[in-house]
Amino acid sequence: MNQTPIVKLCYVSLFAALTAIGGFISVPIPFSPVPITLQITFTAMAGLVLGSRYGALSQLIYLLLGALGLPVFSNRTGGFAMLYGPTAGFLWGFVICAFVIGLIQEKRKFTQPGAIFLTQVIGLIITYFCGVIGLMLVLKFNALQAFSTGVAPFILLDTIKLVIATLLVIRLQKAKIGI
Amino acid sequence: MAMLRNITIGQYIPGESLLHRLDPRTKILATFLFIVLLFLVDSFVGYGLAALLIFAAIYFSRIPLKFILRGIKPLLVIIILTLSLHLFMTEGRVIFQIWFLKVTVEGLVRGLMMGSRLVLLVMGTSILTLTTSPIMLTDGIESLLKPGRKIGVPAHELAMMMTIALRFIPTLLEEIDKIMKAQMARGADFESGNIIQRAKSLIPILVPLFVSAFRRADDLAIAMEARGYRGGEGRTKFRELKFSKVDGLVLTLTFVYVVVVSIYF
Repeated sequence: MNQTPIVKLCYVSLFAALTAIGGFISVPIPFSPVPITLQITFTAMAGLVLGSRYGALSQLIYLLLGALGLPVFSNRTGGFAMLYGPTAGFLWGFVICAFVIGLIQEKRKFTQPGAIFLTQVIGLIITYFCGVIGLMLVLKFNALQAFSTGVAPFILLDTIKLVIATLLVIRLQKAKIGI
Repeated sequence: MAMLRNITIGQYIPGESLLHRLDPRTKILATFLFIVLLFLVDSFVGYGLAALLIFAAIYFSRIPLKFILRGIKPLLVIIILTLSLHLFMTEGRVIFQIWFLKVTVEGLVRGLMMGSRLVLLVMGTSILTLTTSPIMLTDGIESLLKPGRKIGVPAHELAMMMTIALRFIPTLLEEIDKIMKAQMARGADFESGNIIQRAKSLIPILVPLFVSAFRRADDLAIAMEARGYRGGEGRTKFRELKFSKVDGLVLTLTFVYVVVVSIYF
């Protein structure tokens, strides 16, 4: 699919908005600084549907919206402070995650559910890696503390969210939606 | 899912104070300086002086303290967690010990510093978003990024996409609400079952959401093309940003304060 620049611009904005509302649907978990959200579903989809450059751009726009003070990050938080706060690593990780997923999908053009799911798992691991680095830098945690508070409680749920993303992407591919 | 309704977008509180009237660019740059300051200081006096700057800003913004403290509330868990992890897990001189939990002098100092850094970070940037509307901030960002055009930063396009995304959010929320009601009327169940079942029940919401969202984006693109949108080149503005003498003064003062405090503390 080869879209005009204006259509691309609108699709990127759309994914930024979708990721933002993914943050509205969030469930806090006690004893952990990171609650459950649908963001990662939309982040992964942005990479798969928009490709590397535009996928990453949509996530960047999402971060900027949060920076403007919209409550679009997990737990309905927002504001500039989040971009360098404790969970900032995860947020910047979304940008890299969408980029890498998009890159793999551009090269391989997967249509099988298993392959699409695995591509997203790679993206998820990258997000986790960035998140752990963020927790270590901002809160001065060691790697184990960061992993056990920021990653371990979420692995199961995030995997389920990627299954949702896989199912959706396959439907969208059948409908030939994308850039 | 009542949470989808009654969402106020943004934290902006309209007003006529000195801080409200400042150019958004001044406020963004001053906030950046403040962030730099917080990462450079490494003593309680330094944090105290940073807090002083915040309270001066709060005074000039005429925004009730209550609103600024409200911004800290969602981060309370993180702040307490940080404090306690540092308190109990730092090696050093032991103050007292309860079973296996040791409280050390180093842990107490480090925990308190990290805690106050987080609180100040949130307070500082809350003031920016409380006194500046999202649209003004977008204009400010666009203008600040303009020099980056030469190295390929699409300043206008970024601002345009932010504005469009801003406009899409309430529309999409309304759409989700509508789709959920339609699916519930057809017997869909979103509120029971285990995690897997609940996750599966999201599919009948998300598929129609995507279909209608992409249709909306296509419509918008056609409308923009029909009105001759050609990007930022030569586009005029209804609201022009103005950098006044007061802006210059505020920015210079903040810069000097930040430099002095970060050198000495």
